[in-house]
Amino acid sequence: MEVSLRVLPVDPVDRGTQRIRLGPGLMSSLGLRLGCPVLVALSGGSCLCSAWPRPDLADGFIQIDMKCCSPNLITKTVTPTYLTLSTHPGPTSSPLPHSPTSASPSLSITPVSCPKLKAIRVTVVVQCVEFRKTTSSSFIHELVKDMLKGMHVYNKHVIDVVDYDTDIKLIVIESLNPDSLEAGLVTSKTGVEIMGTRTLRHYRGQLEEQPRCPLGGLEEVSACLRELLRLPLLYPSTLCSLGLSCPRGVLLVGPPGVGKTLLVRRLVREVGASLVTVRGAEVVGSRPGESEERLRAVFGQARAAAEEGPCVLFLDELDSLCPRRTGSSAPENRLVAQLLTLMDGVDQSQRFLIVGATNQPESLDPALRRPGRFDREVVIGAPTVQQRFSILSLLCQAMPVCASVDLAELAKRTTGYVGADLSALCREAAMLAIQGNTQSSLEQVITMDHFTSALKMVLPSCLRSSVGQTDCPAVSWEQIGGLEEVKLKLQQSIEWPMRYPEAFLRLGLSRPRGVLLYGPPGCAKTTLVRAAATSSHCSFLSVSGADLYSPYVGDSEKTLAQLFRQARACAPSILFLDEVDSLIGSRSEGNAPQSAQTRLLSVLLNELDGVGFRTLERRGTEQMLQAEGVVEPHQQEQLEYHQVCNKEVMIVAATNRPESLDSALLRPGRLDQVIYVPPPDLQARVSILQVCTQRMPVDGDVSLEELAGCTENYSGADLENLCKEAALLTLQEDSMEASSIKHQYFLQALQRMTPSLSVQQLQTYKQLFR
Amino acid sequence: MEVQGFEGTNSGRRTPSAVTGSARKVKDNAADWHNLVLKWDRLNDEGSTIANKIVNLGLSKDSHVNMMMECEETSAPSSSQNAFGNSNELEETCDNLLRVVEKMDHILSKMEKLVSSEQGIINLETFQYGTGGRQIPLFQTWPTSQFAEVSSKLYEAYNQELTLKRAIVQELAHTTNPDLSMVYLSCWLYQPYIDDSVKLLLEGLLLETGHRPS
Amino acid sequence: MSKSTLLSLEQVLKTCFQSLETNQKVWNSVLLECTPLMGSLGNLGEQLRAFQKVKIANSPLHTFPDLHERLHFKLVQAVDIVLGKLTDKMCSLQQVRDAISNQVSRAFQLYEQNVDTLDLTTVTQRSAITPSIADMLEWLQDSEHYYRQQFLRRKNLFQTLRSDDVSLLETVSQRWESLGSPSGEERLSDIQHKVSFFVESQ
Repeated sequence: MEVSLRVLPVDPVDRGTQRIRLGPGLMSSLGLRLGCPVLVALSGGSCLCSAWPRPDLADGFIQIDMKCCSPNLITKTVTPTYLTLSTHPGPTSSPLPHSPTSASPSLSITPVSCPKLKAIRVTVVVQCVEFRKTTSSSFIHELVKDMLKGMHVYNKHVIDVVDYDTDIKLIVIESLNPDSLEAGLVTSKTGVEIMGTRTLRHYRGQLEEQPRCPLGGLEEVSACLRELLRLPLLYPSTLCSLGLSCPRGVLLVGPPGVGKTLLVRRLVREVGASLVTVRGAEVVGSRPGESEERLRAVFGQARAAAEEGPCVLFLDELDSLCPRRTGSSAPENRLVAQLLTLMDGVDQSQRFLIVGATNQPESLDPALRRPGRFDREVVIGAPTVQQRFSILSLLCQAMPVCASVDLAELAKRTTGYVGADLSALCREAAMLAIQGNTQSSLEQVITMDHFTSALKMVLPSCLRSSVGQTDCPAVSWEQIGGLEEVKLKLQQSIEWPMRYPEAFLRLGLSRPRGVLLYGPPGCAKTTLVRAAATSSHCSFLSVSGADLYSPYVGDSEKTLAQLFRQARACAPSILFLDEVDSLIGSRSEGNAPQSAQTRLLSVLLNELDGVGFRTLERRGTEQMLQAEGVVEPHQQEQLEYHQVCNKEVMIVAATNRPESLDSALLRPGRLDQVIYVPPPDLQARVSILQVCTQRMPVDGDVSLEELAGCTENYSGADLENLCKEAALLTLQEDSMEASSIKHQYFLQALQRMTPSLSVQQLQTYKQLFR
Repeated sequence: MEVQGFEGTNSGRRTPSAVTGSARKVKDNAADWHNLVLKWDRLNDEGSTIANKIVNLGLSKDSHVNMMMECEETSAPSSSQNAFGNSNELEETCDNLLRVVEKMDHILSKMEKLVSSEQGIINLETFQYGTGGRQIPLFQTWPTSQFAEVSSKLYEAYNQELTLKRAIVQELAHTTNPDLSMVYLSCWLYQPYIDDSVKLLLEGLLLETGHRPS
Repeated sequence: MSKSTLLSLEQVLKTCFQSLETNQKVWNSVLLECTPLMGSLGNLGEQLRAFQKVKIANSPLHTFPDLHERLHFKLVQAVDIVLGKLTDKMCSLQQVRDAISNQVSRAFQLYEQNVDTLDLTTVTQRSAITPSIADMLEWLQDSEHYYRQQFLRRKNLFQTLRSDDVSLLETVSQRWESLGSPSGEERLSDIQHKVSFFVESQ
């Protein structure tokens, strides 16, 4: 039987009396007597009330005073206007609400027996910390006892005692004695034990359900950080007895999107500390002194929170808050000084930890980074292959992903993607899957195709706004005709080390650091590199002279260094320097010793074999190679190989004036693989023509071999042009309706053109490096 | 709890007492002390009321002056008259307070006499028994010199208190700072120099001389 | 059977309401006695405030030795004396509260012992002069709740009083008055009126 009851607000008279007002008819049908304790199960929680008939004895209404209810009902303020009561045959029925199939939320009322309790344990929630300080614990005990006396309480419920008008706002029932009881009556003989006092803010903060955020690939960093958080926060006395001073500041450094903020939030929840968050911009105010005041207030807040448990003060975007001090009167200077003072003022006994996060550590004031302030610096780099794999698997857990999706492959192909990028990628893939399936609302599955298309849309954020970022179309080896030898060499030196690093490692083969492609113009050097990049699935950064030039002194060098940094951040990657001769030239050619080109050259030389990585660019940790588990899937192992062997940047340069290059660039260890891309020979020309005419309707009489024979010294680009000319001629001579290109037009076009390469030019190329 | 006036020299002797000589004198002195202190306390309460009145008058005069400044001449004659009446009344009350202080002074002089009387008893004893004084205490345990000590300590306390009260009387009507007036009043009422030790000494004296049932 | 238990229950309720009335008078008289004490606390608070503001060393009284300490001691002592008197009053209030609690819980116990013979229709039956058992039990509970709440509030305020918290002392009088709940009192007298016929009937 189901009864629909109209919910009315509680009478002011009934407030704080724990009564549930029901119609007498309903009460007798439920077998309730006056003041009988009942457990009222609502959607989302339950509350313990005592049943009373309505004064007007009308049925069909319900009024509930939620003085004693489960914690999740405390924050709820909205109550539905109608509740459906399902009456159960007996008191044995479950107190849980039924599945919400009916229109109005359901409700069940079950009488519970409330024997007298021997003892009860409670936590007291007070308005402010001062109360705890000024009031003796014995008086709090007395108050709580008086408040609870005569009440029916339910285990783990929260009792609202606001109407007593004291600083005690809530009493949380932690456990009952005897243990077997779920509910009971507190009498004057019931012992009340107060487990602790907390402030309302703290308690509410704990109640708030934060969405659980998956965190993948940050295990090591989080373990390191967890230790830092746990030790001083949870075991301060141990550290004290060892005579250690706990670190009180941790600086998280890493590019945007790697999950610094997420990590801190997650860890804080895990450790059970309270979190005070400051974003740089929130603190900065316009009036002089305002920012400092706010900063002090935040520290005060953290200090107050720290008094009732571990606390973490999280300064997000620290670089905006504390830029390097410059000049003498900038307002930021005062803010930095204030922060320094506050950090120094944090007492060892105050149990709070300051965590700063930044993506530009070099723009922070150096005084902040000395020991005693931010003692520890934890670097979170862009995720490695394995980290990406674990992030992806975490992200895909919640998604209906097709079994064919190879996450390992995906992880390999998402070099330079940070956590945020990967989640954007998954979202994009899911969107694509939805768009594709709108018509058939069948089960929606995300396939590998969706991911591949999403890969084109979501670019790694560390490459955004980079000069080298190019939108290069995918080129396959087959699209380049001829040059089989060169292709093989390129595959050897670029594609293989990128794709099969483990094989290189096995044979003790060191991979080339850089490759120089030279050869006459128009012989598909750029296309070759593109094909290599496409097939080795790594980040591809391409830059040419024009990208780098800038009218400002030092700007070009900075851009180049930045380019290398980005390339390293998303390693393995290929950095392609097109027209490298125009970029840097040679020192010997009588350039002024301090010209931009010379400086660029020295930057390039430095970056090519500089000493190690910068700390900021550190990624992952070195112990990756030690297999942790005994039985690890083969795939995983392979990923590890990839990760360890493959963290370098391959530099590929192309030029058609190799003689003007500085010789220092070409020595081993820099651009040590020099590949000559010759003009196509007869065989190559045939295949180039084949590739070019693949999409052209060519007449049967066209002999590509003959054409190839007549095009000595034609470059690949020339041949492509020739085909175009022939097609245009066909349209010009025949008509717009022409359906095929005749041989004669090819010949005509040939007559109009001259080869772009000359014999002696080729001779010089051949003699070079021989 | 209060013992309302012991039989002392002031109130005539109706009940013949067993003790005689020095003991008799000391006992009477103790009763006198008690009575004088009671009188003093009564005067103090009286003075406190008067002092309160003075402060209130002073404050209202102040506010009056302020009001006059605000509303210039509109109500000048009446208010000036009022102020005049006020100041008349103030003067009268101050005189009352002065009279209270005079009475206190009178009590103090009696106290001084008591002290010198105790001193005389000691001198007598030195004359009778030599410098070591009497071997058997007059009452229960106190040597004779202690009565004189207690008396002079009590006298000192009341003397200091009276000096304070004189100072208060002089300043009370002239101060414009309400907080300071308040402090004067509390000083008058709570008699900071008559502390618990004074009360204790007096109680000890009464107990020793047998005025209080031990 | 049901009739006799009903009668005995009604008898208990009657005595309950009677004692409630007497206790209410006691409660009010004690509260009345508290008012002047609270007033003197406020007065002392003012004196302490003035005392804190004035630097005796800068006043005409600077010649008097350790006047500052002595006066402070005296004032604090006075506060303590008043607080001591108030403690006695709080005890009386507590006695009233406990008496009421005991009465009410006794009435409830009697009801619960006889709950089998008193069905819901019986206990919700009311007439022109006799309120229903349910009503009266509810009123008793309300009254008890009122006294408990009032006592707790007053005790809470009383406990926070300290001779060194001057600002609290100054405002204690108003606060004490503000603790009273006019609506609660109204309800109490309302209840008394409602049961007056019943209590006087034989």
